[in-house]
Amino acid sequence: MTASLTTRTAAVDAISSRPRPIPFIRLVRVEWTKATDTRAARWLLTLVALSTTAMLLVPLAAPDFEHTYGSYLVGAALGLSVLLPVVATLLFTSEWSQGTTITTFTQEPRRIRVLNAKLAVSVLLTCGGTIFGAAVATAGIGIATASGNVVDANLSIGVIAGYLLFVLLNVLAGVALGALLQNSAAAITAQFVLPATFATLGTTSHFVSNWIDISTWSWILENDWAGHVPQIAFSIILWIALPLSSGYARTVRRDIA
Amino acid sequence: MITATALSKSYNTTPVVSNVSLHCEPGTVTGFLGANGAGKSTTLKMILGLVRPDQGTATVDGRPFVELPNPGQIVGTLLDASAMHAGRSGRSTLMIASQMCGVSQGRVDYLLDLVGLADAADKRVGQYSLGMRQRLGIAQALVGEPAALILDEPANGLDPEGIAWMRTLLRDFADDGGTVLLSSHLLAEVHATADHLVVISGGTVVAAGRLDELLASSTIIVASLDPLAFAEALMTAGIHYVTGPDGAFTVDTAGGHVTTEVLAQLAHDHQVLLTELRHSKSNELEDLFFSVTTASNSTTSGADVAAGTDHGATGGPRVDPTRVASNPHADLGVEAARETSSKDAAA
Repeated sequence: MTASLTTRTAAVDAISSRPRPIPFIRLVRVEWTKATDTRAARWLLTLVALSTTAMLLVPLAAPDFEHTYGSYLVGAALGLSVLLPVVATLLFTSEWSQGTTITTFTQEPRRIRVLNAKLAVSVLLTCGGTIFGAAVATAGIGIATASGNVVDANLSIGVIAGYLLFVLLNVLAGVALGALLQNSAAAITAQFVLPATFATLGTTSHFVSNWIDISTWSWILENDWAGHVPQIAFSIILWIALPLSSGYARTVRRDIA
Repeated sequence: MITATALSKSYNTTPVVSNVSLHCEPGTVTGFLGANGAGKSTTLKMILGLVRPDQGTATVDGRPFVELPNPGQIVGTLLDASAMHAGRSGRSTLMIASQMCGVSQGRVDYLLDLVGLADAADKRVGQYSLGMRQRLGIAQALVGEPAALILDEPANGLDPEGIAWMRTLLRDFADDGGTVLLSSHLLAEVHATADHLVVISGGTVVAAGRLDELLASSTIIVASLDPLAFAEALMTAGIHYVTGPDGAFTVDTAGGHVTTEVLAQLAHDHQVLLTELRHSKSNELEDLFFSVTTASNSTTSGADVAAGTDHGATGGPRVDPTRVASNPHADLGVEAARETSSKDAAA
C-alpha cells in the first residue's frame, strides 16, 4: 500500500468516449452470476435437482403405477415446483435482504431493466430445470422399461406444453411474490403458506378451489384445458400478473433508505 | 460535476433534509460534514437517485443520475460497506461490479491489490472486518474508472493507517482532475482530506465554501468600557456574540457581513468606547462546526433557511447569517454549546 501504487490507481482516465448504456444481455449475465455464484445458491439448486429426482423414485417404487411418459413428467414438474420457485423468489428478494440494492441500483438506476433481467434469468432457470426434469423422467422411463414394466412412452405436444407451462407458472408465481414482498423470509413463507391456506379453504368453498387455489394449474399439468380456461386465466392474473405488476411498481418507486 | 439544488425530503411529515444545495467541481474534495442523523446519507441518496426528493433536483455530470447511461463509469459510489452479500467472496463481489460496468476483469485483480485485499480476495465477505469491507467498497467504487466519487462515511472502520491511505488516494484522485464528495461526522478526517466544506445540521446547510476561507478568522474580539450597553447595541443590531471570560465579546462575522468597521460604527452610534477591536486568530474546524451547528439546532424549524443562495464552490464561503443571528442561546458560551454538540455527534 505505497503511495506510488495509490497514485497509479486514483488516476482518472480521460473519458474519451461517452459511456454507452449497459446492454440488457450484460444485465442478464450479471443476474445469472448472482443467482448461481454463492454457496447458498448452489445448495439450493442441488436441492432442486435432488427433489426432482426423488419425485421419480415414487413410480419406480410404487407397485401399481401407470408407467407413462406423461406421468413421469408430472412427477418431474411437481418436484421442480417445490424449490425452483424459491430460487426465483430469492433472486428478487435477496438483494433487499442483503442491502445490495444500493450497489445494483446505483450501477443501473433504471430499476425496471434490472427486474427484467432477473425475470429473464428466472425463465432461463425454468428452461434449465425443465430440461433436467425431462432428462430425469426419460431416465426413469428407461429404468422402468429395463425392469420389465409395461411402459407407455408416447408423448403429445400437449403434455410437453403442459409440463413446461406448469413449471414456468410456478416459477413466475415465486417471482411475483418476491418482487412484491421484497423480503426473503416473508416471500418464502407466503409461498408455502398461501397455497396451503387456499387449498384448505378450497375444501369448503368451490369458488376458492376452482378459481383461487393455485392447484387450478394442475389442469395445465394434466393437459385438461376443456372448460377450465377461465379459471386458469383468472388464477394466472391473481397469482402472477397482479403481484408482479404491483411488485414492479413498488420496486421502481421504493426509497432505498 | 455534482450539483444538488434545494433538495428536500420528509419521512412521515418529519423533515430529514430541507432545501439542501451543494456543488462539487472537478479537482476538489468536498467534505460533507454533519452529526449523525443530520441528513447526509439521505442527501447523497437523493443525488444518486436511490431516494426520491420531495422537492429539488440533483445532477451528476450535467444530468440527473438516473439518466446516466452507465453511471458506474461516471461516478463511483460507496454508501454502505456492510451492504454486501455476505456469502460472496471479495473477488466475486468486484467481478460482478466490473461485469456490470463492462470493464476488463483484469482491473479486479489490480484493485484487490490496490486496496490491500489480494490475500483475502477469496474469503467470503461475511468473514471480513468492517475495515476490509470498507476497502472492498472503495475498490468497488473505483471499478468503472469513474471521474467522480461519492462516499458516505468512508473512514468508518478503517484503522489509522487505512485512513491515511484513503486520504492519499482521494487527494490523488482529485489532483488528477477527479471530483470527490465524501460525508463524514469526523472533523479531523474532513479537515485532513477536504478542500471544500458543506456543513449540514438538522437537515439544512449551515455553512459551505472553501475550507481555508471558512476557517479564516470568522470572529472579531471586541471589548468596551461599557459591556452592558454594547451588548444591547449588538442585540439590537441582531449581531451574534459570545461573552468571553475577560468580559470581551467574540462576535461572529456572519460570513463577512459583520466587519470591524460595522462594530466601530455601532459603538460610535451608541456612544460606547471600545478598548479592543481585532480579528481573532484563525478558526479551528471544530469551532466552526459547533458555532454553525449549535446555531441551527436551536432554531425550531428549517423553514427560515435562506433560500436560493449560491452555495457554489466559486461563490466564496457562506455561513448563513440568519441562522447564526437567530440563535436565542447566543450568550450561553462556547463551551456549553460545544458540550451539547459533542453529544449529538457522538450519538
